[in-house]
Amino acid sequence: MWGINTGQAQVTEREAGDKLKISIASGKGGTGKTSVAVGIARSIEYCQFLDYDVEAPNASIFLKPDIKNVEKVTMRQPYFLTETGADFSKCVEFCRYNAVAYVRGKVVFFPELCHGCGGCLLVGPPGAVKERDIEVGKIIRGRASPGIDFIMGDLNPGSLRTVTVQAKLDEYIDEKQTVIIDCPPGTSCPMVASVKNSDFCILVTEPTPFGLNDLEISAEVLRKLGIPHGVIINRDGIGDDSVERFCDKNNIKILEKIPNDINIAKAYSDGITMPEYNKKWIKRFMAVIDLIEKENK
Amino acid sequence: MIVAITSSGKTPESSVDPRFGRCPYYLLYDTDKDTFEAINNSGQSAYGGAGVQAAQAVSDMNADVLITTNIGPNAFRVLDSAGIKVYSGVSGTVKEAIDNFKKGTLGLISSPNVGHKYGAGPGHGKRGRR
Repeated sequence: MWGINTGQAQVTEREAGDKLKISIASGKGGTGKTSVAVGIARSIEYCQFLDYDVEAPNASIFLKPDIKNVEKVTMRQPYFLTETGADFSKCVEFCRYNAVAYVRGKVVFFPELCHGCGGCLLVGPPGAVKERDIEVGKIIRGRASPGIDFIMGDLNPGSLRTVTVQAKLDEYIDEKQTVIIDCPPGTSCPMVASVKNSDFCILVTEPTPFGLNDLEISAEVLRKLGIPHGVIINRDGIGDDSVERFCDKNNIKILEKIPNDINIAKAYSDGITMPEYNKKWIKRFMAVIDLIEKENK
Repeated sequence: MIVAITSSGKTPESSVDPRFGRCPYYLLYDTDKDTFEAINNSGQSAYGGAGVQAAQAVSDMNADVLITTNIGPNAFRVLDSAGIKVYSGVSGTVKEAIDNFKKGTLGLISSPNVGHKYGAGPGHGKRGRR
């Protein structure tokens, strides 16, 4: 987003006895991440489901959880006591996000540019810069039938603190359950923050040049993070075979192909997951999980 | 009075650069001495907040007036706080802009004329879901 060093993402080691943590990402938007994520959750029935697409969370539409708990996510943000007559130039010099200007004795602060690092408190005039908590989003928790522990992050409209909300979600990850993580599209910080806790990432793509382009970038990100990954081709039958050729060449397993079926799309538009639309998808998604288990042994 | 103009080059013959935050140079025109001074824009490749940084810089140059093409909301807020008068929508050479300023034919604005990130270069501050 704003050039946070993604190289520092901590990829956690999986310990014996832990259940799998599977993230579902894509690169390109609208390829079927959420369809696959909720489809898998519905198929395995007992798991933890985390919606990390905090800018536009939508898994709740399909899993229909009973919401039990809503908690605020806050960040620290500075305010400047200009009545002290202090010189705030040092704060301006320090802020690499240019969130504060100090012109002719006046402070102009841009909360949407501030990353809440607290630097202006450290370098600014003593006692003239203070901090307060501001709300940037919510963590919403509930239970979806039959045994899905549902957690979603929801970024407040207008806030840019996507990763702050995602970092709060990290605290809820339960190692004792199979964890399904629905990621945001793209390959920038919010995507990295979502996949970094997973043992395996499913990349959902469509077999088109657009799908391929973003798949290549996503696979590169996962390779650099050292996260094993495989591909599910959605809307199979459209486009061309370039995605399959790319996977072959790079030794990336194609875990499943979902046909380009208008009925799946119709069910989706009614908020119905694939296993609910047709039970055969339970078997097919369970087979995907088996493949991932084998890959991760 | 000091007039700052966003410029594509170091001389008055250069064209007015349309980007406030990411122009290569600011030319400072001193109306009393009738002299020009070129200043490098060190914030040209700022990752984000280039407009804020540029407005801070123009204020630090003790400019009273800014002439440019496009000005965004954040930069405008800073310039407004500094009491700097903004003339936008200006094109042509820096010299022509100064002549028109002296003749009083430039339009003073009281609000930004473009949105956020208008002058952002590729890979700089363009937020998108990708």
